[in-house]
Amino acid sequence: MKVEMEMGLKDVPGSLLRSLEPISKHGGNIISVLHHRSEADDVKVKLVFQIKDLKSLQLIEKSLKQGAIKISDIIVEGRRYYEKKTISFILIGHVIDSDIRDTIDRINNIGCVSDVDVVMPDPSAKSSVLMKADIDNGDIDNVVDLIKDICEEKKLAFICCLLK
Amino acid sequence: MKKISLIIVGFGVIGAGFARILHEKKDYLRDLGLEYKVVAVCEKEGSIISDEGIDLGDVLRLADGKKLAQHSGWTKKKSMQVLDEVKADIVLELTPGDVKRGEPGYGHIKKALSGGMHVVTSNKSPIALHYGELKRLAEENNLKLRYEAAVGGAIPLLNLRDKCLKINEIKSVYGILNGTTNYVLSKMVEEGISLENALDEARELGIAESDPSYDIDGLDTALKVVILANNLLGRDVSFEDIRVQGIRDITSEAVQLAIKHGYVIKLIGDVGRGEVSPRLIPVEHPLNVSGSLNAVLLDSDVAGELTLIGYGAGARQTASSIFSDLTEVTQFV
Repeated sequence: MKVEMEMGLKDVPGSLLRSLEPISKHGGNIISVLHHRSEADDVKVKLVFQIKDLKSLQLIEKSLKQGAIKISDIIVEGRRYYEKKTISFILIGHVIDSDIRDTIDRINNIGCVSDVDVVMPDPSAKSSVLMKADIDNGDIDNVVDLIKDICEEKKLAFICCLLK
Repeated sequence: MKKISLIIVGFGVIGAGFARILHEKKDYLRDLGLEYKVVAVCEKEGSIISDEGIDLGDVLRLADGKKLAQHSGWTKKKSMQVLDEVKADIVLELTPGDVKRGEPGYGHIKKALSGGMHVVTSNKSPIALHYGELKRLAEENNLKLRYEAAVGGAIPLLNLRDKCLKINEIKSVYGILNGTTNYVLSKMVEEGISLENALDEARELGIAESDPSYDIDGLDTALKVVILANNLLGRDVSFEDIRVQGIRDITSEAVQLAIKHGYVIKLIGDVGRGEVSPRLIPVEHPLNVSGSLNAVLLDSDVAGELTLIGYGAGARQTASSIFSDLTEVTQFV
C-alpha cells in the first residue's frame, strides 16, 4: 500500500529523523523523502512509503502526533485519506490582555492558527478577534472544546463557525 | 358533515388569531366536510361557555375592546374548572408558557388528556419541560397531542417529517428559531448599530418584549431545541441538557469583523449537538435570512438537505400551524 504523507517539521536538528522513526518502527518501507525549506517556521516534508495495511498507518499517525509532528495531508493509493479543515471563530472580550499568545499556543497544540484579525476600539474596551485555524478533520470537536475551555477561563465570548 | 367540538384555552394574540382564521375560513372548512363548533373560550379571569356553539364574530369584537366579560355566555369559571365540566373533542391550549414550570399549559394539557380530549397546542414550555409525561399520558388514553405551532411558527417541521419525510432518518437539524434575535442581529449588520440600539428599535416595533432576556439569552431557542431533539431525532432530552449562550456579548465590532471575512452572526439552535449559541454563517449560506424570519436546515439520509424559511411568530402564521394539527387530529375524532 503506497502512502504519500505531508508534514510540517520544526526547523531544528534531529526533527526529520524523529519523523522517520515511527514509520520504520511500524513496518513502513520509506521510498522517498522530499524536503522543502521556506520562510515559514515549519519545514515542509513529503514522505512516500509502503505499508502492509491501514492499521500500520494508524499506528504511524498516532506515534507522529504523540511526537507533536503536524501532518497536513495523507494520500493512500492515490486517494486522500485525511484532510485538513479551516475553522473560523471570533473571540470577544479582553482577548489581548488575557494573553493572546497563550491562547494561540494552546490552540496550536492541536491545530494551527493561520490568521488573526483584531479590532480594538480603545485599550480599555472589549476587543473582537477573528481567528482561522487549520485542524485535522478528526480533531475539530477537540479544538472547539479547548477554545470553549479557554474562553471560560479567560471570560471571553466565543462565536464558532457552523460545524456539520 | 363531520362535527367537531372545540375548547379554546387562552384568548390572547395566538388564541384570538386562531379564532379569527376559524371564523374567516368557516365556509372553506364546510366545503371540506368539517364543521368546528367552539363550546368554550377560556381566559384568565373567566370563560365563555355555550353547548350550542359560540359565535366567534361576537367574541372577537368583544376581545378587541378587551370586553369579553360582557358576553352573554360569560362566567367566572376558570380554565381548569371548564376543562373538568365541559366536554369537547379537541382542546386548543394556546396560552403563553412559563419557562420554569410550563404552567398554566402543563396543567391544562394534563387535565384535557385525562378527561379524554385530544390536545393541539402552540405552547412550547409544557412540551419542552414535560414531554415524556405528556406523551405517555396521551398514548395511555389513546389520544393525540400535537404541537407543530410550538416550534418555528408557520414553518412546518414536525408534520413535514410525519407526512413527507417518513422514510428519512433525520441526521441533523439546526437553524434560526427565534425571530427577535434574528431581527436584532440583522439590524446590527445592516445599520452598523449596537445590540442595545437594535433592541430598542425591536421594542418600538413590538418585535421584542420590554424585557427581552428570554429571547436574547437563548432560552426560547433552547426550548425549541428540546422539542425538536425529542420529536425529530427521537432523543430523550431535557431543558437542562442544552448548553445555552445568548447574544448579549455580541459587539458591533464583532459583527463588522465577521462581515469583513464573509460571515454574519446568527443565534443558532443546533439540535444534534444540544446547543444554542451565536455562530458565524457564511454570507451566501441559506440560513442567512434577515429581519424576524426563522430558517431551519434539516439534513436527512434520503432527501438530503432541506432549508425551510418562514415567520416564526405572528398570530396568523402560528394559526396556520395550529390548523395543520387540528385537521390532522380531526381524523381521529
